[in-house]
Amino acid sequence: MLDLYSVKGQIDHMMAEQVDRPRQAQLIMEASLAQLERWSEDWQALADKIDRSSTCWLLPVIGEEGLRQSYPLPVRPQRVTIASTDGSQIFPDRHEISPCYLINIGYILLHYGTGEQPLMSSRPSLFHRDQDLFRGRGRRGAVSRELVGIRRSLLELTELAELAAAAHDEGYPTVALADGSLIMWTLEGKPRGFRQEFLESMLSAFETLRRRRVPVAGYLSRPGAQDLTNALRLGLCPLEAADCDHCPWMAEPSARTQDTPSQSVDRAEEDLPCGAIDGVGDAAVLRRILQPGGRSAVFESSARILAEYGPHSICFFYVHVGEEIARVEVPKWVAEDPPLLDLVHAVVCDQADKGQGYPVSLSEAHEKAVVRGADRESFYRYLREAFVRHDIDARVSSKSRRKRHAAV
Amino acid sequence: MADRDVARPLSRFMDHQGIAPDRLSATYPAGGGGELIEGEATNVDAHPPGDYVGEVVESSTAEALAQARELNCAPSFGRFVMIESAVPAVGIVFNVATQSVEPNRRPAAYGKTERELRLEQPQIFELLRTHFHILIVGHLDGGAPVPVLPPHPAPIHCFVYECDDTLVRACTEDDEFLRNIINTSGLPADQLLIATLRNALQVRGDSREYLVTMGKALSRLLQEDYDRLRSVIRRIAPGR
Repeated sequence: MLDLYSVKGQIDHMMAEQVDRPRQAQLIMEASLAQLERWSEDWQALADKIDRSSTCWLLPVIGEEGLRQSYPLPVRPQRVTIASTDGSQIFPDRHEISPCYLINIGYILLHYGTGEQPLMSSRPSLFHRDQDLFRGRGRRGAVSRELVGIRRSLLELTELAELAAAAHDEGYPTVALADGSLIMWTLEGKPRGFRQEFLESMLSAFETLRRRRVPVAGYLSRPGAQDLTNALRLGLCPLEAADCDHCPWMAEPSARTQDTPSQSVDRAEEDLPCGAIDGVGDAAVLRRILQPGGRSAVFESSARILAEYGPHSICFFYVHVGEEIARVEVPKWVAEDPPLLDLVHAVVCDQADKGQGYPVSLSEAHEKAVVRGADRESFYRYLREAFVRHDIDARVSSKSRRKRHAAV
Repeated sequence: MADRDVARPLSRFMDHQGIAPDRLSATYPAGGGGELIEGEATNVDAHPPGDYVGEVVESSTAEALAQARELNCAPSFGRFVMIESAVPAVGIVFNVATQSVEPNRRPAAYGKTERELRLEQPQIFELLRTHFHILIVGHLDGGAPVPVLPPHPAPIHCFVYECDDTLVRACTEDDEFLRNIINTSGLPADQLLIATLRNALQVRGDSREYLVTMGKALSRLLQEDYDRLRSVIRRIAPGR
């Protein structure tokens, strides 16, 4: 049971430590904007420096549009169809009667300009076979929540591609809109065979769309990404080519290794030449630059996993959707096709406008996909009844039973 | 449309519960439904299923709630309807409501016409449902109405049909339906009397003789409240 009185004291303490934050944030913002101005004309020099440097943070690839370019909202075609999916899951629970798990995908297809009835549905998939529940040879490890999450993300994308392709094949001019990033960060650092298994399905889904010239975009609300501000931060480095591993301003360079970037956050970091821009997100800076409806230039992400994406490597731009600055990620073949890029830009803004700040197709997909606590209870209740009905001996753990019937 | 749908690339993404019942026989051919007992299925084919106006979603002995087949297309207030089952029930629509299907998502004003909304906010119509309440007033025995409640409530998911003129005439031949309305609490009774009687008059070509018969019946039923009687009669046949 949560001791709220004790928490309150800690919250007050937290607040006392943060009173200085707005002033610091203002200083960082001013430094970021100054750097953005400085490099806006000379962006090629910054792009070259990015090429030469080796940093412990992610840097974008600056394209031919430069750094500070922005584009007004294009007109959305009157007739357009938006496909979206979202997923939800019941995680495997080893205290339950069966370690199976469930992924529920919500499908949305909204036709604009025709008055046609939308498609709004959901479909659950139960994963119960040994190959679903255990991984690895020899020692069988139970499937983790992380793996279920990865499988869910993959299913969201592959199902989205199939939905959008099916709509396209029926003659609808379709845009596929995904919830969240198209960069599978979670696969970074996973064994090669594992990565390939997932990436192959995902890239073949992207290929399905590319062949039909159906644009796909990932929409990130309140993005935390710092690709651009990292580039500006690099601009502050006095060296010709930054090399964070051998940073002369770092107090204890030997304490850091490339494999553990989290350790690179050093106490001395704010005293570094690049420390003036630290912790500010791209969205916060672009909020000062973009007009409502406008988008930034397109950049290419240099996330490590994208090396395996081939022609589907992910580019991104930021867009002012009114309520917020959102990040939109698209495969390179969309980014390099101006009519498709304009279509994505127009559709994303229109969707956010229709959904009062968040794309309506994505929020409806979420509503269709969501598995609430009560659904989860019903699922396990039905599962337990099914086991009894079929006379299969299985039992819930003592811990689970105790949680359900706590006694004094 | 139905034949085309089976081969449509999008058919895989459609909810099974969303498939119109008249398509189910094609999608799920007979043979799997061992639960349906034949004796219970009498009358099931009495109407072509395509004609139904609603489907029962809540049912009790004297009342039923049905979901309209299409949004904003419930039978009108005061209309006689028939719920098809082993013992078909006859009832009167006494309340129609359209609302959000999700309790925590209330409709909000958009400032647009329905046409504009259909073109630019198509999802909202998927989230709205029209329901209608039915006051059960009798049942059918061999096709003829009997002013006695059916022995069992109509099963959930039974289809609801509008009664045709012949059946409306048969249901309103005597004054039992008036008594039913007046004696049931929680109804907009006077408005329902007026609506049903106007229906009954209409299927009789505004027969003066029928109006007089029912006027007499009403004066017996409402003899203790002359003002109410006058108000009801005046509104059934304005100008007479």
